[in-house]
Amino acid sequence: MLAARASSQTVQRVARNFATVVDSAGVKVAAVDNNQPTSSVTFLVKAGSRFKPKAGVAHGLKNFAFKSTDKRTAIGIVRESEIYGGVLSASLSQEHLALTAELLRGNEEYFVDVLTSFVTSGRYTRHEFSEYVAPVVESEIEATKFNPGFQAVEAAHALAFHNGLGSSLMAPPHSSITHDDIKSFAQSAFTKDNIAVLGTGIDQATLSRLVEKSLSKISTASQLSSSASSYFGGETRLQAHGGPQTVFIGFGSAGAPSPELAALSAYLSPAPSVKWSQGTSPIATAIPEGTTVEVVHLPYSDASLFGLLVQGPTGATVKEAGIAAVQALKTAASGLKAEDLKKAVAKAKFAAASAVDSREGLVSVLGSKVLTGGESSLDSALASLDKVSESGFTKTTSALVKAKPVFVAVGDVATLPYINDLGL
Amino acid sequence: MPLGPTLAPKVLASKTLTSWITPVANWYANLAGYRKYGLTYDDLLIEEYEDVQRAIKRLTPRQQYDRAYRFKRASHASVLHAPLAKEQWITPEQDVRYLAPHVREVEKEDAERAMWDTASVSRK
Repeated sequence: MLAARASSQTVQRVARNFATVVDSAGVKVAAVDNNQPTSSVTFLVKAGSRFKPKAGVAHGLKNFAFKSTDKRTAIGIVRESEIYGGVLSASLSQEHLALTAELLRGNEEYFVDVLTSFVTSGRYTRHEFSEYVAPVVESEIEATKFNPGFQAVEAAHALAFHNGLGSSLMAPPHSSITHDDIKSFAQSAFTKDNIAVLGTGIDQATLSRLVEKSLSKISTASQLSSSASSYFGGETRLQAHGGPQTVFIGFGSAGAPSPELAALSAYLSPAPSVKWSQGTSPIATAIPEGTTVEVVHLPYSDASLFGLLVQGPTGATVKEAGIAAVQALKTAASGLKAEDLKKAVAKAKFAAASAVDSREGLVSVLGSKVLTGGESSLDSALASLDKVSESGFTKTTSALVKAKPVFVAVGDVATLPYINDLGL
Repeated sequence: MPLGPTLAPKVLASKTLTSWITPVANWYANLAGYRKYGLTYDDLLIEEYEDVQRAIKRLTPRQQYDRAYRFKRASHASVLHAPLAKEQWITPEQDVRYLAPHVREVEKEDAERAMWDTASVSRK
């Protein structure tokens, strides 16, 4: 007991930031070790859906991850990873493709080798594409048809940003992408200045050594480009059935994401701080029973999308909830009381900090900063939230809602409201 | 085993053996008669094998179409009890092993799967 207490006092302060970013053979490598029992290594590649020579190749590449390479076959990777006890995963966002290996300490050598060999020598065979990749791509597209929330946010991206950020995460159904398209996309994406290697629970020197050994042969300059985002706005209505009636009301802006929007989303978010309570958000009290309003705030490198996702069982209730949510947004945009702003900033700071607590959050929030060479710590984000002032908040939010809105209705379009029904 | 044992790689490795055996092999292939019916050697692989089925699926659409066309033409010739006209015969240059590499690949995958299924893991 005594011994346990003594040791608990010497536990180091848990590091929340990637301490240093090292250029190892031209690739940015960052690692943080909190003494957790497992490690993870993520290759964050700037190869999201916005960089598309052809629609859907990024989605195809995500599903090609961990298929056969010059070193191992696909089944070899699966079976060997099982023997070592690890999890391999790939995820895609609008901007990044993340290839992740979660592993027990001590197995770094093998798992980093799996990741690097995919990056350097993926084979992208035609039969693997038709036997393994294409069916998964198709089923993922099929699954999104039953997720009206996802559909609404995807359509909102397309309306808000047209090309670039507006391109869908999913390949178009019946797409004509081939293994050759994916191969050439991968070759132009997997370059030194396009990859950041992020490790958690692993020593920086070890990770650098492993990466350096194998990534030195890939080419330096990326050939992928995406036009700078600009905001457009617009309205669309998609017929769907089976899911809840959904409406998305959003606003976007080009330029670096602002902390004021994070505060606005924290202020409006009806998610309560205590379970089963109603919360003090102005939306939570105003919407009818059975409907939900979710605040969507998506900051990207050169634009951000802010919106309210309203879902309910019928078109009429969605309309009622939508009117209440838009009213709350308009009131908030015209200015907040000092104590409300203080509360919102505190909530936003907590959200930002707790996102970094988890491994995925750490990689997704700070990883992009490592990749762009920016400061990879949470402190700057928290400091910028602290600096949010009443006048600055009012200025940013009123400019936001003055823009042309994005409006998406998914579900029974005959009963769902139009944009002017909601008071916009 | 759809492909069966073969001595071909050993023969091809030796120049002398190749020069002796090639005329015999050509004579045998022509005598077998499948070329007169517009088929290639790989068309004769027994396609009821699961391995061959998977290999056939890996052909390009063009190869699959050509294969089906050759079968159709050959069965028509068979109905007529006569070989095709001489200009339609498959020449030795056209008689390429388009399916065998895929079958070999599938066999390799099967062998690897069997290896992993039966592998015994020991702690180092």
